[in-house]
Amino acid sequence: MASAPSPTPGGYSVTPTEPLVRHTAGRAVVRPPLPVKLVIAGGFGVGKTTAVGAISEIEPLTTEAAITEVAAGVDDLSHTPRKTTTTVAMDFGCITIDPTLKLYLFGTPGQERFGFMWDDIVEGAVGGLVIVDTRRLDDCYAAVDYFEHRRIPFAVAVNAFDGHVEHSLEEVRWALDVSEGVPVLVFDARERGSVRDALLVVLEQALARTEG
Amino acid sequence: MADGRTPRGAGEDGVVPVGPAPAVRPFLVTAGRVAGAGEAASGRPMPVETQLVATATGLDELDRLSFEQHDIVAACRVPQSIAEIAARLRLHLNVVRVLAEDLRAAGQLSVHVPDSGVTHDASVLRRLIDGLRAIPDSRGVLRDSD
Ligand SMILES: Nc1nc2c(ncn2[C@@H]2O[C@H](COP(=O)(O)OP(=O)(O)OP(=O)(O)O)[C@@H](O)[C@H]2O)c(=O)[nH]1
Ligand SMILES: [Mg+2]
Repeated sequence: MASAPSPTPGGYSVTPTEPLVRHTAGRAVVRPPLPVKLVIAGGFGVGKTTAVGAISEIEPLTTEAAITEVAAGVDDLSHTPRKTTTTVAMDFGCITIDPTLKLYLFGTPGQERFGFMWDDIVEGAVGGLVIVDTRRLDDCYAAVDYFEHRRIPFAVAVNAFDGHVEHSLEEVRWALDVSEGVPVLVFDARERGSVRDALLVVLEQALARTEG
Repeated sequence: MADGRTPRGAGEDGVVPVGPAPAVRPFLVTAGRVAGAGEAASGRPMPVETQLVATATGLDELDRLSFEQHDIVAACRVPQSIAEIAARLRLHLNVVRVLAEDLRAAGQLSVHVPDSGVTHDASVLRRLIDGLRAIPDSRGVLRDSD
């Protein structure tokens, strides 16, 4: 099916092919694309970087992000919550949809705890993909909780390492206790088409949210 | 901003830093500022996908900019996200946020913070879906239409 150009409120359709350029003082200034962000989360070594790399048009880049962690309990003297700032490596890639629209994929660092310290990365994301290794289901609880509490549309993708999963999707759904509407699927983080389809499921979730 | 132009610490011995920036660098580069500047009007930090583009003024004044400021404006001839600039120039994300805000105030950089109402709009999501569907898998096979 050829993708139809999106209609605008004005009743005409726009299909950009070239970036918009403005010439000021003899210099060309390019109008940036609208950046849309998806977050790829999950425990250590589940295949987040692999998934980003499989579909990104650039080699995944890594940057250091500061996360603020609020420790459980309070400081004995000041009675304020203890905050510590940790620096974590976060990697990301992107897909240019057209000159005016670009999808960014941010992989959160694998950690058991996935608290509100991730807001710096996740703020404004249209959706999330939680990658799961069925041998270590516990590792992704925090990510599932995070997206559910933030009401961010997401899907759970079981990475079939070497074509094997240790639990059926029904078992994974039960073990993670995800809400009924959350898609749970199997994918291969190394396969571009497989990652594409998993991202499509997330975007369909986000779209359904706008319509529902 | 004049006193914000600190010497390039790691570069004094002529060695180009290759690893992640040491923890102390962010404070040198931003003259100790860590918060306040770099926050969007909402009071939240600029999202990591915020787009930065050099302005005509910024490109004209490039020779007068020093170090990180110079490198950011030069790299932003092509629009880039805060995250891309941080990764490519090996700067901390928060350093890029602070410097981008300074450069914006000086008219040398334009900062495009995405409006989440627009990015979450159904028409934008449909364009993303159509665009992704057009990506072939590694064997060149397109996704089945449905
Ligand atoms: N056989 C197989 N190996 C995979 C698959 N996905 C990832 N791997 C390997 O598993 C290892 C971990 O994958 P990464 O993509 O680095 O995982 P990650 O989630 O980014 O890991 P952290 O960032 O360290 O949390 C790498 O050696 C990958 O090559 C898969 O589907 N099958
Ligand atoms: Mg990784």
